[in-house]
Amino acid sequence: MTDSQPLGEMLRERGVSRRAFLKYASYMASLMALPPAAAATMAQSMAQARRQSVIWLSFQECTGCTESLARSFSPSLEEMIFDLISLDYHHTLQAVSGEAAEQARRQAMRDHKGKYIVIVDGSVPTAGGGVYSAIAGQSNVAMLAETVEHAAAVIAVGTCAAFGGLPEADPNPTGAVPVSKLVMGKPLINIPGCPPMPQAMAGTLVHLLSFGKPPELDALLRPLAFFGETIHDRCYRRQFYKRGLFAKSFDDAGARKGWCLYELGCKGPVTYNACASLKWNGGVSFPIQSGHGCIGCSEPRFWDRGGLYKALPTGTGERRRVVPIAAAGGAALGVAAAALARGRLAAAASKEAK
Amino acid sequence: MDTLNAPPPRCDPPDAGLVEAVLQELAVMLEALAGDEQFNDAIDLHSLPLDDGAREQLRQRLGRGEIEARLELAGLTYIVETAYAGLWWVRHADADEHTVFEQIVVARVPPLLPAHGADIAAAARRLGAELSG
Repeated sequence: MTDSQPLGEMLRERGVSRRAFLKYASYMASLMALPPAAAATMAQSMAQARRQSVIWLSFQECTGCTESLARSFSPSLEEMIFDLISLDYHHTLQAVSGEAAEQARRQAMRDHKGKYIVIVDGSVPTAGGGVYSAIAGQSNVAMLAETVEHAAAVIAVGTCAAFGGLPEADPNPTGAVPVSKLVMGKPLINIPGCPPMPQAMAGTLVHLLSFGKPPELDALLRPLAFFGETIHDRCYRRQFYKRGLFAKSFDDAGARKGWCLYELGCKGPVTYNACASLKWNGGVSFPIQSGHGCIGCSEPRFWDRGGLYKALPTGTGERRRVVPIAAAGGAALGVAAAALARGRLAAAASKEAK
Repeated sequence: MDTLNAPPPRCDPPDAGLVEAVLQELAVMLEALAGDEQFNDAIDLHSLPLDDGAREQLRQRLGRGEIEARLELAGLTYIVETAYAGLWWVRHADADEHTVFEQIVVARVPPLLPAHGADIAAAARRLGAELSG
């Protein structure tokens, strides 16, 4: 841990009372779907803990993940996370640059050997020996291996780090891979999303700080508290879905009445995330509420699912697989199935052309 | 049509079943508090699929009591005693008054209200230092 002073004392000196601390713990317990009674335990644990050293590595990324966590149009509870951690290395946020920055990273690794947390955003290019992305003359692959060696845990934030994201999309010229393909033998948590929800990032860090272990994860290593339900499960437009009321185009009467966007390509039914319940920008809205279907950005390979505006019944498989399978349907699935598939593809292509 | 100012989609009537379920759970917890003054628990409204109508219906059923507190803690927190002693409606907001999360706390006093021992000790030291010049 970075400072010898317990967090509770440090925050009190900064004017953050135990009440505010308890409020923050209550908020985090709520986000993490923990019982309300856990808040007191979390507050006590965090108050006694020291600031957690965090090293943030940015590879093939757009900085959206950092913006999601750090950007706020008004002070919010999420920002308290920066009081609880010591962000010892971060390209975008740190004051130093160049060799001084790399020295800061290695110093933090030495000072907190075995205890620091590594956060990674962006995928890692591996083609050509990793030449497609290098920092201070060191490939991303090498920097990742060096930094995680003595880390306590690794958190892959954003869909690029968790699943490969846009860089990994077909044809993947840089050989981009997710963090999970390169990090073995370390506790790994994936917090996908393009970008990921700030509450998911902060809540996961607080859980680690409070309980010393990752939260409960799903099969894709995503915290169940944020990725345990689909967008569809908590969508306020589900009532229209149940009644068969669908918008047919983005400007028709149904769209103006706020009907379900399923037929306009909404991937809500197959996307696990908390957007529909927590919403974005301080709880103001989320894509569906703003009139656009979910694009499934927290799921693997969402860029290659056959188009953002293709309705789910036409297939969510990769485009390069769908056509050959349909063409081969006459042998494998029967002539009728192939004709139906070709008809749907033609209709969807016609709709996209419009 | 001015879609920006159009009314939001109309929702189904509030789910009365869910409101009743929450009230039943609160009744059990309040009974526990009546038997043990140290009892302290809460229902996290964020975790429930309550729409605005159901939330308002629940608020009306619980009513208002004698106490209303406004706390300034990294944004505002409002604690309102309901018409049922021991049930408190707690709404946490950020600096822009956006509701961050809400709870119904079942306790003699919500844990946020009493001054914490460590804060009291620090305050005693501070006041003593101020008075001693």
